[in-house]
Amino acid sequence: MKRRGSLAALAVFALGATGIVSERVRAANNANATTARIELGRRLFYDADLSQDGTMACATCHEQRHGFADGNRTHPGVTNEAGRRNVPGLANVGEFSPLTSADPRLTTLEAQVSVPVLGTHPVEMGMAGREAEIARRLGRDACYRRMFAAAFPGTADPIGYANVVRAIAAFERTLASHGSAYDHDALSADARAGQETFRRDCAACHAGKNFTDLAFHRLGAIDPAAADQGLFEVTAHEEDRGKFRTPPLRNLSVTAPYWHDGSMPTARDAIARHGFVYPPETMRRLEVLLDALTDHDFLSNPAFALPATACGRQL
Amino acid sequence: MYRSIIMIVLIAASAGAPAAEEMSTTKPACITNVAPSGELAPWVNPVPAKAGSEAANAPLLSVGKATSVTLLPTPDVHYALRPEKPGGSVSYGGLLALDVAQAGTYRIALNSAAWIDIVGKDGALRSVAHGHGPDCTGIRKMVDYVVPAGRYTLQISANGAAQITVLAVPMK
Repeated sequence: MKRRGSLAALAVFALGATGIVSERVRAANNANATTARIELGRRLFYDADLSQDGTMACATCHEQRHGFADGNRTHPGVTNEAGRRNVPGLANVGEFSPLTSADPRLTTLEAQVSVPVLGTHPVEMGMAGREAEIARRLGRDACYRRMFAAAFPGTADPIGYANVVRAIAAFERTLASHGSAYDHDALSADARAGQETFRRDCAACHAGKNFTDLAFHRLGAIDPAAADQGLFEVTAHEEDRGKFRTPPLRNLSVTAPYWHDGSMPTARDAIARHGFVYPPETMRRLEVLLDALTDHDFLSNPAFALPATACGRQL
Repeated sequence: MYRSIIMIVLIAASAGAPAAEEMSTTKPACITNVAPSGELAPWVNPVPAKAGSEAANAPLLSVGKATSVTLLPTPDVHYALRPEKPGGSVSYGGLLALDVAQAGTYRIALNSAAWIDIVGKDGALRSVAHGHGPDCTGIRKMVDYVVPAGRYTLQISANGAAQITVLAVPMK
């Protein structure tokens, strides 16, 4: 009896141990798949086969050296249709929701990816109705077939638009930027002086660690004639005319021009557009603070750059 | 017209800026094509050429002479230096040789938004300015480089069509 009890205990222990091992294996597999998904997403982020004629990738507009903004007012799409809004930077984009300057419905990166890829207002990458073509193009590449299989294990046919979107979103969530002088509490005396002005006049909206309250605001009076009505274009509520989400300010020094339409060439212009008039020295110190929000490691981190290899071979 | 060309604002690239950034285009509707003048006057008479698939077989792009270049499918092109914007498998690219006899600032004009690199023995040159061409001339993009004398490879990548018009001119 005693022996039978010992055996039973041993069996329970063995089953428990098996469970622990299974859990560890499952966790390891999940970690491997996550790593593979990020790697796949990075390659896709830089792949222009996600556009109609193979000329535009996500990275065409989201350039790392510009904090994943692009340095132009707006960017035309593959059909040469002019862009409507300034390309936003992507620092810490995984922490944002909503994600874009005037559409509160876009609360996940997975949903947002389709705006440039499939969007028609304006046409950017021009793949509306051609999702299957993306899968067809990628499926011709043996390395992509392996990468999708590793990123989405257990899926019968992993190369599809839905998984393209998931992988890009997974990569974008890695775009963390917390290495500025501000983050390291290494602000100069001028920057600290600028911080006083910032706290008084700016921080109500440019709030939190990413300097945005993620809320939609309008500066000035409603202008029904403005070409871009912002939030109103989604909600159709009169009070939403001209409202745009507070932009984050990280890496601001490399993301010019500014404003939802890129109409402000410099930070000084953008500050003035808020209606603030500062003495020159106050403005200078405020600009020093804004410069201190630049994370230079983020701008050159090779983990975020155009991948040089995939599946062990040069791309 | 020449005056209007002079008035074109080329965006001075910041230090370290790459070759060929693209800008927004809010262009006027063009009823008829307009011939550019000044340095860009040769634009209207392109001669045909076929791009090389690698530096060793790249045909010479004559400075001051517009060239209508037939490109290759991107997977068939072997770039000396991987372009920053390599283009997808369905895009087109190719290589041209560029001989610069006299050092100076050279402008590369294109009829598309293709990515370009000028690659010398020390790697790719950095552009010093970029912008649009004069309205309604068909010049979509212009990139300026300060180029020492020597032999270079002009890499064209991420073009949406098999044909591209290219003009390289010295700037005064």
